Amino acid sequence: MLEVIETRELIELHDVEGIVRGTYHKTHAVTLDSQSNQSKEHRVGILFVNSMSPTRAANGDAAVYLADSFAERGYPSFRIDLPGFGDSDGDPAPDLHSFVNLGGYGAITSAKIGQLVARFNLTGVIIVGQCAGAVSAIHAAAASKECKGLVLMGPYFHLPQGKTPAKPREQVNPWYATGRFGKIWVSASTLHKKIRSFLHKNSPPQNANFALLRLWKQVASKGLPILVLSVPDRKASGVKGKAVEFDYLKYARELAGRKSRVVAKVADGANQSFSNRPGRESVRHHVELWLNACFPVKDQLQQKMSALQVGRSEVEHQRETREDYLYQ
Amino acid sequence: MQTASQGVGELSEKAGYFPVPDAHLYTVLHQVTDPVARVLLVGPFASERHFSYRPWVRWARYLAARRIEVLRFDYRGVGESTGLFEDMSFDHWQEDVQTLTDWILTRSPKVPLMLHGLELGAILAARIFDSGLGDALLLWSAPANANQALRSSLVQWAGLGQLTESPENRRTATQYIGELEGGASIEVQGYQWTSRLWRDSFEVVLPDAVSPTNLSHWASTKRVRSVNLGKDAAPLVKPHLIYDEGKDLSWLYEQNFAWVEGVLTLVSGGNDARSY
Repeated sequence: MLEVIETRELIELHDVEGIVRGTYHKTHAVTLDSQSNQSKEHRVGILFVNSMSPTRAANGDAAVYLADSFAERGYPSFRIDLPGFGDSDGDPAPDLHSFVNLGGYGAITSAKIGQLVARFNLTGVIIVGQCAGAVSAIHAAAASKECKGLVLMGPYFHLPQGKTPAKPREQVNPWYATGRFGKIWVSASTLHKKIRSFLHKNSPPQNANFALLRLWKQVASKGLPILVLSVPDRKASGVKGKAVEFDYLKYARELAGRKSRVVAKVADGANQSFSNRPGRESVRHHVELWLNACFPVKDQLQQKMSALQVGRSEVEHQRETREDYLYQ
Repeated sequence: MQTASQGVGELSEKAGYFPVPDAHLYTVLHQVTDPVARVLLVGPFASERHFSYRPWVRWARYLAARRIEVLRFDYRGVGESTGLFEDMSFDHWQEDVQTLTDWILTRSPKVPLMLHGLELGAILAARIFDSGLGDALLLWSAPANANQALRSSLVQWAGLGQLTESPENRRTATQYIGELEGGASIEVQGYQWTSRLWRDSFEVVLPDAVSPTNLSHWASTKRVRSVNLGKDAAPLVKPHLIYDEGKDLSWLYEQNFAWVEGVLTLVSGGNDARSY
């Protein structure tokens, strides 16, 4: 059994809580140089964290594909199983969703970033998280000085809607719906609701994850480069009556302030888990352009030309689109 | 047979890459000191790996804690193993199982080997056992042929698509099957299924000798157990619409371990399994 093959290496990150296991995708430069060791990286690394997905490979092995791609472009990439996931030690928290939403994986991810930076001589780490993984990524970014950027795929900023207690008018009696006074009361109540909704139209709903939004503001407002990827709107063309959802992304961008470096893109063709072929291709495309704009690898152009035999037109195209990924 | 629990500190999980033609298999060896037996865990089809992973790992740890050395792995082109899924065939995956079985048999000390397959893995493990390798065989939710495994994944996938896809992109399982039979490839759970894979799946069958309807030969030796897992065993098996990470399947592990203990005692002639 080998721990290292040409393009990958299996890693273990130890601490008192147990072992976190993962996979390191070596850059082309390291792969080429058989004498090289990890200390030669000296560049920003990319770390994939689990969503609710049980393994570091993610749905349809999408994370494997992306990590391979980014490593080929010169970014050492790491996929780890957080405690309770995949091959790592530990059991998942009993209420995993709540645990993630409250930032349960923030501290451990931050600690693992520290270990990766030290072991592989990285200049920092960009965290990639999808869905629940995006929540963990924001928490980790707030806790880690070594986090240099975020890629958030389908992030959410709300908490699951709990069972709300019955409203007082529903508890009283059905008379309110039919009786004269009841109708007046219902009308007044509806009017009050509409006025309140109008006055607070830019405020997030009650089930917003306010703690997460505060952390988002903290990390985004200081200018951390952040790429937010969303799936195309798949609203069924024939479906009517769907409530208008609060635009969290718009709100989050406003919250981030003018100094922020948040770029939002739609991953064309992606399904909800970004795991289908068009989706992962689109993610790869956007992330690579964003990386090229925000974290250019010193020898990236040469590396692309030689190792990947990418044509000149693509490189020029990347130059043109660079600004699009720096400012929006 | 002595299968006293082993302290967690004595257990080690060694992940590695096992070279096979044109690829590397990702393997995890749950090593134990002084093992009483070994088990090769042969997992389900690619689309199911994702859901069954944690309960599969927990089963491996459960066995290792009871002095049974376990090897689990990803098939070529799946998960942490290298290779392109769409280039792979059932022959490749059967070869993976054969290669790892051969490797385990070289390990010392010599102790009984049990092959344990889940879903598609049950067929592949059974075929190896039927060829004369291994001392016991445990099958969880063994389909009659690989097509049954693919078909049930497809039905679930199509059902999910009815909820998540826009009307113009929705397909029924029948439509997907029509596409496959018409020579096209389709994507299921992020994996590209080729029409070749679909066609071949009809030929990959559970050996007659170990099929649930014909266990007479092996039943007499008590070395084969075939269990159809119900929905209470999800997400190890379908239906598994959510990742139920924390679900307690210790009842399943206990039931099956009782049989494992018994069969290992049997194959070791009632003595300590190490003397087998």
